[in-house]
Amino acid sequence: MNEGGTARRDKGGRNVKKFAMLLAAGAMALTAGFMTGGANAADKKITVVTWNIPYYKDGFQKWVDAFKKIHPDFDVERIDMKGTELPAWYQTQVVAGTPPDILDLQGGIWLEYASQGGLTDLTPYLKRDKEYTDRIYPEVLNNWVYEGKNYGAPMYISKTLLFLNRKMMKEAGIEKDPTSFDEMMADAEKMTGPGKSGFMTLNFDWLYWPLFKMNGIDFVTPDLKKAAFNTPKTVALVKRLADLTKKGVIDKISWTGRWVEPNGAFAAGTVGMLHAHAPAYLWFKSKADWVNSDTVGAINLPGDWSTPNSHAFVMSAGSKHPEEAWDFMKIATSGDGAVTFGEQTNNLMGDKIADQELMKYFEKNIPAVVPALKTQLEHFDKLTGNWPFAKDAEIKDAFYPELQAALLGQKSAEDALNAAEQKVNRILQSQ
Amino acid sequence: MAAGTASAPALDQRRRPPAKTPFFARRRTRDLTLIWLFLLPSLVIFALYRIIPLGWNVLLSLEFWSPYKPARFAGLYHYQEMLFYDDAFWKVFWNTIIFMASAPVGIALALGVALLVNTRVPGRGVYRTIVFMSYPVMTVAVGIIWQWLYNEKVGLINYALISLGVINRGIPFLQDFDLALPAVILASIWQVIGFYMIILLTGLQSIPPNLYEAASIDGASAAQSFWRITLPLIRPSLFLCFVVGIINSFTAFDLIFVMTGGGPGHATDLLVTYIYSSAFKLSKFDYAAAMTVANFLLFLGLAFVANRLAGGEAGAIKRGA
Repeated sequence: MNEGGTARRDKGGRNVKKFAMLLAAGAMALTAGFMTGGANAADKKITVVTWNIPYYKDGFQKWVDAFKKIHPDFDVERIDMKGTELPAWYQTQVVAGTPPDILDLQGGIWLEYASQGGLTDLTPYLKRDKEYTDRIYPEVLNNWVYEGKNYGAPMYISKTLLFLNRKMMKEAGIEKDPTSFDEMMADAEKMTGPGKSGFMTLNFDWLYWPLFKMNGIDFVTPDLKKAAFNTPKTVALVKRLADLTKKGVIDKISWTGRWVEPNGAFAAGTVGMLHAHAPAYLWFKSKADWVNSDTVGAINLPGDWSTPNSHAFVMSAGSKHPEEAWDFMKIATSGDGAVTFGEQTNNLMGDKIADQELMKYFEKNIPAVVPALKTQLEHFDKLTGNWPFAKDAEIKDAFYPELQAALLGQKSAEDALNAAEQKVNRILQSQ
Repeated sequence: MAAGTASAPALDQRRRPPAKTPFFARRRTRDLTLIWLFLLPSLVIFALYRIIPLGWNVLLSLEFWSPYKPARFAGLYHYQEMLFYDDAFWKVFWNTIIFMASAPVGIALALGVALLVNTRVPGRGVYRTIVFMSYPVMTVAVGIIWQWLYNEKVGLINYALISLGVINRGIPFLQDFDLALPAVILASIWQVIGFYMIILLTGLQSIPPNLYEAASIDGASAAQSFWRITLPLIRPSLFLCFVVGIINSFTAFDLIFVMTGGGPGHATDLLVTYIYSSAFKLSKFDYAAAMTVANFLLFLGLAFVANRLAGGEAGAIKRGA
C-alpha cells in the first residue's frame, strides 16, 4: 500500500515536473519568438524627430511613402517635440542608448552634439550624392560645418530681417526706409511715444548680433580662439543701446523676452520696427488683423547683415541604419519633399530648385509673405552670429547675461564687457 | 548521599537554561520579519529612486561626463568651478536662500488669515475656501496669471497703479533686475498661502478652549494669550509650514520657468532652474551634478536647523503616545 502510494507520488511528481518543463520551454519559445520578432521590427525601422510641427502630418506621410518606394521593408517612426523639450529628451535617449536616427535641429544646438561625436559626419554622403548636394545653397550647407565636416541636411531656412510698422512710420512722418544704424535709431526715436516704442529685437540664439556687426564689431578673432568684442566701439554702442532702452525707444522686451513676448508686442501695433527672423511674420500676422503687405514692410537690416536660424536634419552617430536614414533625409529636404514641406509650413528650403517653385506658390497664395521671404534668399555672404563654437550654448550663456545687465542699466557697459570677455575667453580656451 | 544523588539531576534540570526556541520560530523574529517585509517595497523604491540616483549623482559630480564620451575622473574640478569661477552659481544660491527666507513671510500672512477665519465671522467658510482656492491651481497657470498681472503694458497691477495716479508709466516688474525676484516670490506666496492657512487653522482648532478661558480668568490680554498659548501650541503646524516652504523653494521650477525663465540675467534663477539649464541647455551634466550635491547639502542643513528649532524631534513617534 505504502509502496503503491510512493509510486503514485513519484509518477505524479514526474508529471508535474514534465508539465513544468513544458511550460518553461513554451515560455522560452514564446519569449524567443517575441524577442526575435521585436528585434526584426526594430532592425527595420528608422526614427525621425521633428521640431514643433505636430500639424505636419500629410506632408510627413508623403515623405514616408516616397521612402517606402525605395525601402519597402522599412518602417518610419515619427516623434514631434517642442523646441524647449527636444534637447533634454534627445540627450536622455542618447544616454539610454536609443537615440533617434534623424533629428530636426535649429540654430547652434547641433554644435555641442557634433563636437562630442554625437552626430554622423555627412560629408561622405554629400560627396557621393552630388545630384543632391548641387541642389543645396552652398552657404546654407556651410552653416552646418564643424571642423571641416558637414553634419546637417538643410531643411527650412530662416534668417533675421527688419519688419517695419508702416502705419507708425507714416504717423511719425517717416517716408524712407532706414539705410543705416543711425537712421534706424533716429526713426525709432521719432516713433516713440506714450505706450509706443520705436524698435525691438529678438535676442535668443545670437539673433541680436547683426546690430553689433552692422556697427563693425566682431565677436571673436577669425581663428575663433579669443574674444574680440571688448573694444571702445562696443562700449559706446552698448551705452547707446542702453540709453535708448531707458528712454523707451528700444522696447525692454528686446532684452528680456524670448519669442512670444516680442512678436506679441509687435502684433499689438505699438512697436515701430521689429528685428526678427522670417517665421515671425506669419506668427504676428495670425495675431493681428491690421497686418498686411501695406501696413508691414520687410527689408534687410541696413548693412544687410543677418543671423541665420535655420533648421536641418542631422543623423545620430548611434543610428543603426545610416544609409536608409540618409535616403530619408534627402527625400525630406530636396525635390518634391522640400516643396511639400515648404508649402505646408510656409517656409523656404535649402533646395535652390524647390525654392523657385515655392516662391511661385507663395506669390500666388500668400503674397503678403513674399517680401519677407525674398530677404531670406539674399546676402548669404553677410551672415553673422553663426560661429561654429563647440560650446556655443555655454558661450551664449556667459555673454548674454552680462550684455543684458548693461543694456538694462544694471551694470556699466565697461564692467559688463570686461566680465563677459573674461568668461568667454575662459570657455574658448577650454574648447 | 542517596538524597544527594537523588537531588543532583533535579538541580541540574533547574540550572539548565530553557530549551532554545528555533530562531525563526521566535515571536520577536517573526514580528521583525513581518515589519521588514512590510517595509521592503517602500525601501526598495526609496533606494531605487532616491539613494542610488543620489550616489550616482555624487559620482557624476567627480567625473568629466558627457552622453557621447566615456567618463574621465575629474576630482573636485566641478566643485572648484562652482565655488570659485561661476558667479552665476552664487547669484542663484543667494536667490534660493532669499526665496526660502520668504517662507516665514507667507506663513505669517497665512497665520493672520487663519486667525481671522478662525473667529466667528459670518461666512468664514466662504473666506476659507476663497483663500484656499489658489493652492490647487496648477503652478503653470499661476505663472501665466501673474505674468499677465505684472505685464508692463496691459497688466492689471500697472493699470491700477496708473489709474490711481501712483505711477505714470508701467513698471516692468518681471524685466527689472531688482523687482523680478520679489515679484515671483509674491506669486509663489499667493499660491501657497491657502495651504499654510489650512494647516495653521487645524493647529488653531486643536487648542483646547479652556486654556483661553483660564487665561482670560487670570486677566491675560489677547496679545499675551497669543504669545503664551496660541504660538507655542501651533509650533508643530508652523514647523510643517516651514518645511513645506523650504521644499517649495526647491521645487518652484515651473513657476520660474513660466514667469521669467530665470531672467533677466540670472535675477530669478534658483538652484533648481540653474541646474536644469546647465544640464539640458548647456549639456554640462557633470557640473549640474556638482550643483545638485550643493543643493542637497543646503537642503540637509536647513532641514537639520528646522528640526532643531522644532525641538529636535520633528517626525518622531513617541512611545505610548
